[in-house]
Amino acid sequence: MSSNVSGAKVMIRKINTNDNGQQASYISWKVFSYIQLLILFVLYFLFPVQLYSKEKAEIKVVAVISGDEIVGKLNKPSGLFFDEIRKRLYVADSGNNRLISFDSEFKYLNELSHEELILPTSIVRNKEGHFFILDNGKADIIFIDLEKKVVEPLSLTGIPPGKEKFVPGRIAIDKANRLYIIDKLNKRLLIVEQTGKFVREITVKDKNFLGLTDVRVDNNGDIYAVDAVSGSVYVFDNKGEMVSRFGGRASSIGTLRFPVSLAIDKNGLIYVVDQHAGKVSVFDKKGSLQYTIAKPGVKEGELSNPSYIFIDREGRIYLIDGNRIQVFKE
Amino acid sequence: MKFFSYALGIIICFVVIVGFEETSIYAKSKVDTFALCLECHPKTKDLTMKGRVHQPLKEGKCTECHNPHVSKHPTLLSDIGGELCYNCHDRKKGFIGIVVHRPVEEGNCLVCHNAHSSDIKALLKKAGGDGCFSCHPKEGIIAKKNIHPEVRKGNCSSCHNPHASDREGLLNKDRRSLCAGCHTETVAFANMHMGYKVGGSDCLGCHSPHSSNRKGILKASLHKPFEENKCSSCHVAGSTAVVRTGMSLCVDCHKTSMEGFNKISNHLILGKNDSFCNSCHNPHASDERYLLKDKEKRVCYECHTDTKDYVAKSAHKHPKIGECLDCHVAHGSNALFFLSKGSNTCSQEKCHETQGTFTHPIGEKIIDPRSKVAMDCSTCHNPMGSPESSILRFEKDKELCVQCHQM
Repeated sequence: MSSNVSGAKVMIRKINTNDNGQQASYISWKVFSYIQLLILFVLYFLFPVQLYSKEKAEIKVVAVISGDEIVGKLNKPSGLFFDEIRKRLYVADSGNNRLISFDSEFKYLNELSHEELILPTSIVRNKEGHFFILDNGKADIIFIDLEKKVVEPLSLTGIPPGKEKFVPGRIAIDKANRLYIIDKLNKRLLIVEQTGKFVREITVKDKNFLGLTDVRVDNNGDIYAVDAVSGSVYVFDNKGEMVSRFGGRASSIGTLRFPVSLAIDKNGLIYVVDQHAGKVSVFDKKGSLQYTIAKPGVKEGELSNPSYIFIDREGRIYLIDGNRIQVFKE
Repeated sequence: MKFFSYALGIIICFVVIVGFEETSIYAKSKVDTFALCLECHPKTKDLTMKGRVHQPLKEGKCTECHNPHVSKHPTLLSDIGGELCYNCHDRKKGFIGIVVHRPVEEGNCLVCHNAHSSDIKALLKKAGGDGCFSCHPKEGIIAKKNIHPEVRKGNCSSCHNPHASDREGLLNKDRRSLCAGCHTETVAFANMHMGYKVGGSDCLGCHSPHSSNRKGILKASLHKPFEENKCSSCHVAGSTAVVRTGMSLCVDCHKTSMEGFNKISNHLILGKNDSFCNSCHNPHASDERYLLKDKEKRVCYECHTDTKDYVAKSAHKHPKIGECLDCHVAHGSNALFFLSKGSNTCSQEKCHETQGTFTHPIGEKIIDPRSKVAMDCSTCHNPMGSPESSILRFEKDKELCVQCHQM
């Protein structure tokens, strides 16, 4: 500050005492440079340019679930779902071939094992409280009605044949109880009624597209999907038209190294789990990076092998990270 | 007008005379410089006697490359390695590409070329393949019974560009058109291929480009129907079209293969290929295990580009880093990271069988205080590579132990 002041004094002295043309030109350039800097400052505040990814410091870990003596150790949990009506967390503990439920304080409540459940990996629930589970062991969708004690494969009907065998990937559900099922080998997204009846399919018209890894639907019916291999996030409107694509595999700002899962919060922000980067990148719908959550590592609040994300209505962010689940909250 | 003609004539004469004088002085000076150099470096004269002499030396311009007074580079060179050469040899003309020969990339032009002169064209140190075999051992290329004639002659540059290329393997042309330059589709050619029209196919999918113990330099492992000439098992008779599309064609015979995919994590993704199984396998022939379509790491890195980059920049790597299937299961796994034996993968098949018995305890009952999950080898080591020795995750003397054992 003092040097600036003395610099200004020198400048004034030179202007006052020296009428040499060259000196005057030097001074005017100096003044011009200051003005340029000032303009740049003003422009930056008016139109901020993101030069680096900001980690959101206010988001903290509120719980870590890895199992205990009662529930046993979690073994490769692959999917989870928070039931807003019953206020329960359901976890697909895939390696232990079971579904586990926890209360809203994450205390163990119950578990379900069944001969129809071999490797449950993805879990959604309809308005009536019925569950639809992706079972990788059977390569099938399993329907569960806990009240009636029904656990049976969901029969899909009217699916147009693809070039490859139909193998279901992760599933999502919309407000109208329609299921969104990734058709892993035919590079498409199938939309079916909860009865299993085919409604329509969404194909991705993008030369970089290699296959879907995860899918979500928001309250407007807009669809969000991620392709881990190409590192891309795709946003479709409720008619299935692609409205934006962003990401791409790289290490620079706004790109993704290996995105494996995604979730949408109540503000419409898209949370993308970047497994190889050990963090969650948060984008707006147009693909502009807002901030990141967590950093690579094994300590609480750090991510070593994140594979799945879910956000509940309270804004709690559930992240499956290897054999533990970390719950973050702003 | 006359005045202008006289003036123009005088100016032209002046320019010619002065220019000539200048040129004479320059040439004289350079010749004298070369003579001056020879006074102390008489053997340099011998270098000019060879069949091919580098142009600056031929013209006696030693100072094109060397500084006669002082330099921070060896042999008083005026610049380092390739940077010196690129002063005259335009880098943009043939020295850049998606794939660059390592000596070129590192600026080590003199690995292959002589700086002053040579009896071999392009100032090469060794003729033809002998130069290439200095770094690329013959044993791996032409040791087998049947050798590709161009390889036998040492004409490596028939197929490869020694500097840079936009194609893998520094190939001169893309894989599908490279062979067609010599091998035209004659009747004999068609008969050799059971009458199938294979023109435009990727020949390197079935044939080894260098040498093989099989007739027709076919690759070492053959798919059984291919070996038995039962092409119609998969193809429509007389056509390269297949009888069934997709993986169902393969699963008809490989009935248990699907079980391998029905795991928590699986590789059921079509990727860059139209046919799922062909994403990784060659349905005809391969030099690799499991009929892989290319070298193991190349198959995996085709999709796992991020891992490829990470491994490449890691100072310390696991010795089996390119042999992915020694630790990982390709189709599917119920363990983290597709590991073949979960947390016991490191001790499998006597790789590290004593681990966990004489070092830091690991296993289900040993809990990492940071993550609250069981410790295994990967708690301290990163098998995919690390900047630290022993592929440790942290510096071993200061950082590693204090991660858990606070002072």
